[in-house]
Amino acid sequence: MSSAYTNKLMMIDLSHASFEILPVPDALKTNFIGGKGFGAKLLCDMVSPGTDPLSKDNPLIFMTGPLTGTMAPAMRGCVVTKSPLTGIFLDSYFGGSFSPEIKYAGYDGIIIKGQAKKPVFIWINDDHVEIRDARHLWGTNTLEANRLIKTELKDKTIKIATIGQAGEARIPFALICGEYNRQAGRGGAGAVMGSKNLKAIAIKGTKPVLVHDPQRFITACARAFKELEESPDVESFRQAGTAASVEFANETGLLPHKNYQNGTFSKASDLGDKGQSKHLWLGSSACMGCPIRCSKIGAVRTGKYKGIITDIIEYESVALMGANLDISDIRAVAHLVKLCDLYGMDSMSTGNIIGFAMEACEKGLIPSPKGIDLKFGNVAAAEHLIHAIANKKGELGKLLSQGVQKAAQKIAGTAEELAVHTKGLEAPAWGPRGVSGMGLAYMTTDRGGCHQRGFPVSYELSGEWEGHPLDPLSPEDKAQMVVALQNYSAGRDTLVNCDFGSYGIPADTYAELLSAATGQKADTNTLMETGERIWNLVRYFNLAQGLTAQKDILPRRFVEEPLPDGPSKGHRISRDDMDYMRQEYYQLRGWNKKGVPLDKTLNRLGIKYVGPHQ
Amino acid sequence: MDLIGGYNPRRARLLIQNKNENLYHMPVVCSQCGNAYCMTACPVKAIHRNDDGIVCIDPDKCINCGLCAQYCPMGMVSLDPDTKKAVKCELCQGKPLCVEACPTGALELVQLRKDQ
Repeated sequence: MSSAYTNKLMMIDLSHASFEILPVPDALKTNFIGGKGFGAKLLCDMVSPGTDPLSKDNPLIFMTGPLTGTMAPAMRGCVVTKSPLTGIFLDSYFGGSFSPEIKYAGYDGIIIKGQAKKPVFIWINDDHVEIRDARHLWGTNTLEANRLIKTELKDKTIKIATIGQAGEARIPFALICGEYNRQAGRGGAGAVMGSKNLKAIAIKGTKPVLVHDPQRFITACARAFKELEESPDVESFRQAGTAASVEFANETGLLPHKNYQNGTFSKASDLGDKGQSKHLWLGSSACMGCPIRCSKIGAVRTGKYKGIITDIIEYESVALMGANLDISDIRAVAHLVKLCDLYGMDSMSTGNIIGFAMEACEKGLIPSPKGIDLKFGNVAAAEHLIHAIANKKGELGKLLSQGVQKAAQKIAGTAEELAVHTKGLEAPAWGPRGVSGMGLAYMTTDRGGCHQRGFPVSYELSGEWEGHPLDPLSPEDKAQMVVALQNYSAGRDTLVNCDFGSYGIPADTYAELLSAATGQKADTNTLMETGERIWNLVRYFNLAQGLTAQKDILPRRFVEEPLPDGPSKGHRISRDDMDYMRQEYYQLRGWNKKGVPLDKTLNRLGIKYVGPHQ
Repeated sequence: MDLIGGYNPRRARLLIQNKNENLYHMPVVCSQCGNAYCMTACPVKAIHRNDDGIVCIDPDKCINCGLCAQYCPMGMVSLDPDTKKAVKCELCQGKPLCVEACPTGALELVQLRKDQ
């Protein structure tokens, strides 16, 4: 019977230069749907506690969702692995055209294990799989590697995921670069790829992705497209991507400024859609099959940095590499972000780390590198540090290339007080002091400091959650919302849908798309329950990797230092607030006071975590 | 979907060409050329122009030699990997699905007047 699943997983062992095709068991589809679910289950089955993320024993898992590659709008791919930055579960998502190509080649996902002896790249042409020499590609940046592989294989239509020099150097926040301008950015999946001596994966797929019930599926797609068309939020993404969030975050006091010391930046509009549309944008572009087209592609045409092609500088990057560093020249920010993209290094983490270094230097905790005035607002200093980090050059480059948590630990004095991260993952660009639910989400997110496993901000600022009034500053009534948002987020991440799509498309439409495409019964509850199952499985995995409840906390800055500006001026999330929210959260999750899932919770969700098969 | 029973843009009868890190992306569609090289190149006359001016391939006559694909200046004729027959855009019996699916209105079906 036709289904949008290909029912095949490609397992490649780089140590033995071999591959095999694994079937997708029905139980995996029923319990975990796809994407994050498949990735989490496979990672739990394959990774023992104590596994070094940069060793051959850590798999690098590329997963699609059942709807990826169909006409269902805004579907993406994900990478799942154990993070070298946090030492816990990592799932990182990317749009573009690489993940549909995995489906077109005939696979629901690609699992890469082992370690090649010398640099290689993988070439998958439908059923043909080849592990090719990549010594000549080693040392190239992400875009150059992409171009060289297309030339070598004499086909410009091949879809490629590469690492840059940062991944080769195993920088723990190195990314994997899809095409174009689409990265699995967070948590260091690029370093895992580099540790395998794997420069790139190139794919060409000519097979069709089928659906179970074509007529029903076409009807469901039409419904989803209409819902996107009618959503004002989606319209905003269509007009200006996430750049419009800069002024929103500034007005609400959530915009990080000077390493999150402040929540507003007087020159925010230079960095937002106004500044970007004036100085950068030329047109819109879209991920494959997506009508939202949030990408605003363009170029820096004039000034010192002229000549570079740049996509929209999305909110997280522009806030962390711009406002957070007190830099307001959008063309300079485009230049800095592009450098990170070329090296293959997460521009969010990098912006966070540079902000930390600037503050640490201003406070006398670290010296300025020779010839550089390391202070807020200095573009040349930021650029210097990007090169130093990516190349592990100089004392400071070597130090900062370890991530903000480890760098701060190694600096004497009070540096740890300036490090803004959760569980080692550098915090994103939403200061949570005026929105305590966002704080709770950071504390409890499965991969560390992340805004994409539930984003309570919009509900908190609207003052309402599911018909109940909500005070953004109070710790009360936050846990229930965060649990529900996290479950739904994990449920949707089994489809690997884009978060932006979900601003317009409701849960029941996603469920209908899934049912029509696969023949599996699904409703809203299926997504929520699957999300809860994944969340608990990942929690169990993380605990086995050494996570404790003591790490379910916010960085000191948000706890001890009241916000100095913006509408929530004077507010912080105190230790008492944290404890209150955390305990309420654990209780609602069915976990004990130490944040360990209770047996009855695991039984209810059918989780039998036994670790890797020996 | 209607043509091959599933989804794969490589099997579409139009192309979107990308250049310069996706700064430029342009749809390429069959022009139904006045002087259609594919039609002239076909050694078995499997390609003809119908009454509406659309250049069509008769799969029963096609011998999958690939000459039409080789000499199309736009890369708009290809060999179907399943049937091995030459395929090209024949405008979906007058109701092109690509036009229906396009969310921006970048594609539309226009009729040239006879005197053009």
